[in-house]
Amino acid sequence: MIFDRAKDFFVVFRQRKPHLTIFVRLRNCETASSGGKGRRMSHKWGLVVDLDRCTGCEACVVACHAENNIPTVGEDQAARGRAMHWIRVERYWEGDFPNPRIRFQPVLCQQCDEAPCEPVCPTYASYHTPEGLNAQIYNRCIGTRFCANACPYSVRFFNFYNPKWDMPLQLQLNPDVSVRSVGIMEKCTFCVQRIKSAEIQAEAEKRELKDGEFTTACAQSCASKALVFGDLNDSNSEVSRLASSNRGTKLLGELGAKPNVTYLQRGTWQDAKNG
Amino acid sequence: MKALYGLYADPEAAQRAVDSLRAASSELKFDARQILIVSGEPHEGYEFTDSHTTASPYRWAVLGAVVGGTVGYLLTTLSQKSYPLPTGGMSLTPAWTNGIIVYEMIMLGAILTTLVVLLIGAGLPNFKGVITDPEIGTGKILVGVVDPPENSQPELERRLRQAGASQVKQSSAS
Amino acid sequence: MQRTAEQIEHDLLRPLFHSSGKYWIAVALAGSLLLAGVAAFGYQLYTGIGVWGINSPVFWAFDITNFVFWIGISHAGTLISAILRLTNATWRRPVTRCAEAITVFSILIGGIIPLCHIGRPWLAFWMIPYPSERHIWPSFRSPLAWDFFAISTYLTGSTTFLYLPTIPDFAAVRDAATGLRKKIYRVLALGWQGTPRQWQRLEIAMHIMAVVIIPVAVSVHTIVSWDFSMTLVPMWHSSIFGPYFVAGAIFSGIAALILTMALLRKLLQLEEYLRPIHFENLGKLLLTMSLLWFYFTFAERLTAWYGNSPPEMAVFWESIRKQFAPLFWTMVFCNFIIPVPILAIKRLRTITGTAIASFTVVVGMWLERFLIVVPSLEHKFLPYSWGTYRPTWVEDTLMASSFGFMALLYLLFSKFVPMISIWEMKVGLQPHGGFPVVVTGDSKHHGLVLEGPLPRDVAE
Repeated sequence: MIFDRAKDFFVVFRQRKPHLTIFVRLRNCETASSGGKGRRMSHKWGLVVDLDRCTGCEACVVACHAENNIPTVGEDQAARGRAMHWIRVERYWEGDFPNPRIRFQPVLCQQCDEAPCEPVCPTYASYHTPEGLNAQIYNRCIGTRFCANACPYSVRFFNFYNPKWDMPLQLQLNPDVSVRSVGIMEKCTFCVQRIKSAEIQAEAEKRELKDGEFTTACAQSCASKALVFGDLNDSNSEVSRLASSNRGTKLLGELGAKPNVTYLQRGTWQDAKNG
Repeated sequence: MKALYGLYADPEAAQRAVDSLRAASSELKFDARQILIVSGEPHEGYEFTDSHTTASPYRWAVLGAVVGGTVGYLLTTLSQKSYPLPTGGMSLTPAWTNGIIVYEMIMLGAILTTLVVLLIGAGLPNFKGVITDPEIGTGKILVGVVDPPENSQPELERRLRQAGASQVKQSSAS
Repeated sequence: MQRTAEQIEHDLLRPLFHSSGKYWIAVALAGSLLLAGVAAFGYQLYTGIGVWGINSPVFWAFDITNFVFWIGISHAGTLISAILRLTNATWRRPVTRCAEAITVFSILIGGIIPLCHIGRPWLAFWMIPYPSERHIWPSFRSPLAWDFFAISTYLTGSTTFLYLPTIPDFAAVRDAATGLRKKIYRVLALGWQGTPRQWQRLEIAMHIMAVVIIPVAVSVHTIVSWDFSMTLVPMWHSSIFGPYFVAGAIFSGIAALILTMALLRKLLQLEEYLRPIHFENLGKLLLTMSLLWFYFTFAERLTAWYGNSPPEMAVFWESIRKQFAPLFWTMVFCNFIIPVPILAIKRLRTITGTAIASFTVVVGMWLERFLIVVPSLEHKFLPYSWGTYRPTWVEDTLMASSFGFMALLYLLFSKFVPMISIWEMKVGLQPHGGFPVVVTGDSKHHGLVLEGPLPRDVAE
């Protein structure tokens, strides 16, 4: 009541109406981040990574770079640990010669429901959208790098220099995605530009979004269909079905960040032993 | 602004001088508030020093703290409620974290209020010119009358010397 | 040694009016260090923060180490001035202004560092809560927002705490100076006269400030420690960080104070005022803080080791045995093994002894901050993302220039402000050292009743 009046005061005082539709959405959803609590969200985006299907080909990494205008930092900077792969394929070796096992684990931003990277940002550059995404607002970021320290998955990347694309590679940049300058934090957005574009299209055509109508760049490029993207609120979607599988685990789930990326792998060690 | 004053080597002598001047104030037709006492350091335990003890700066500091805390509370809760941006699964107005801001604003309120109350209470800044004497630096206490009435000066001088002044001088503000 | 008020004033005002050649050389050196830092920062702004050694996952290293270090040093003034004022410890008199000056300048430097280490420093003003046309405020959930409020409050408070008791001394300089100097100090003294009312008001204000500044100081370094412990990073997410950092801050602050006093003695010929007894007493405090530091470090490490959680143990062994072992054991040496014997044995607790112990403590505490920040960031939860860190010349230059800036500010301060509080030293000359007594006579008095003669100010 009094806060609504104060809110109106601030808006009227500024003599400007908020012109982004997302602003209206924010006011309607008080506790949008905790999926299930409060009002039901229209969509809740999630991803499933099937580790049994992943071959480690890293097509997803390349596709992500292409789609999201991620710069390649060069050999020297990469050796210093500044490579920016919004999705990376981690390789772990198990066992010794002559029978080492190799495991591939694609790691990307888990879009946590209670993301540890969100409360620590002093300027709200890292915040939670009503659709369950952890959003990074590039032009609000002042580069304190606190979010990157707080992220347990190390999936946040910093622009240490202004990115450069040698000519004519700048012609390949995706016009739907902004190019980030020096001092800005960035990370996987679940290809939010594709999400928004599909939503706008569906709204224009006055229909609901269909499962599989669009997908993220990484899932689109995965040859073995190890990555599946979709709406977790839609109980008929492929991703909902896979996420509730008994092969499903969460990466670092014990930390309580409630990630929205589910990893599928063999359920019991006996299965693994029997191959 | 002129003054006629004596310099005293210790606070007892200064106290005698102050008492003597007060006794003469009605007779010589000047107000007791025209009595000027200046020293280079604070002395405690004498009437002329301790009569200025007051509890009001403490009360003002508490008031400043309350105001500061209220400002901090309003700043956090109003801004968070007006533009709801839920982050990290926390509530819109998490009490513990807002409490830290409120605490700092309480302290800031107390500090600023103390500063302002001191400046006002001590009459600072005062650029009109002050009456002082170089001997203050050596530990002497100056006791005198500001703008004494014309014909009272010989009597004042007598009283100042009787209280034990090492010197009696006349000077103007600088 | 009997001193008169006149002598005190003459001795303590002398550095303002006369400076040796050594002084100007020191100023030039400090100034050039600062200029080097400014140039390095300019280069960093132009090229990008990549000129530092930070990377993924070590996003904070020297910058935050130095930030916490300088904020830690700032706790010198608060402890000495405020707590010793409140406990009426009279030996603090020559020491208070040196300590308060350290506080103000190190907070200033500590507050500038975060502005320089963010990726887009020209937007640092977004930390200030103002009604912006974007309809957005800072996030008050973030420990960095708490930092902004805490450091601003502490800077305001300690500047006030430094300035208020300096007003009568500015008046003393005003009365002793001529020409342009007189005009400047007339403004600084705000027209202070020295009437009993003014003295009473000043003492009451100092009392309130002393009471208020202690919780502020405790909260500042606690909030700085929460920059770390509010995350889930292994070995950072520890509830002991609040008290640990405050104790460490007071520890490094006292050490910095002892070092500064030892230098001032020689530079400004203040041997009669900063006497061995002061170094002895501060040395005892330093010893207490060293033992306390050891207790906290031991408690933090023991609980980590006993719990045996794999992410924490990875960081733990890095510090104790592996990559950071040389730095870790140097730190233990510098903070505990060297200072404790020097400070505990009375024969060694001389000015030189405490100065040596303090120097090792300052080095050790810097190492402690570094060892909190970097090993944990290098080894977070996912081993694939572990990394390493090496500083670059830009970070080294910026760190050196922070010391140069501090030295410059302090040297200039000693030139323009009496380094030891003149009026407080004169109060120490009074028969009962400033304690109120009952005086028989025909006037009414409001002092406390005290039984026998009090000990004179130990500095006298």
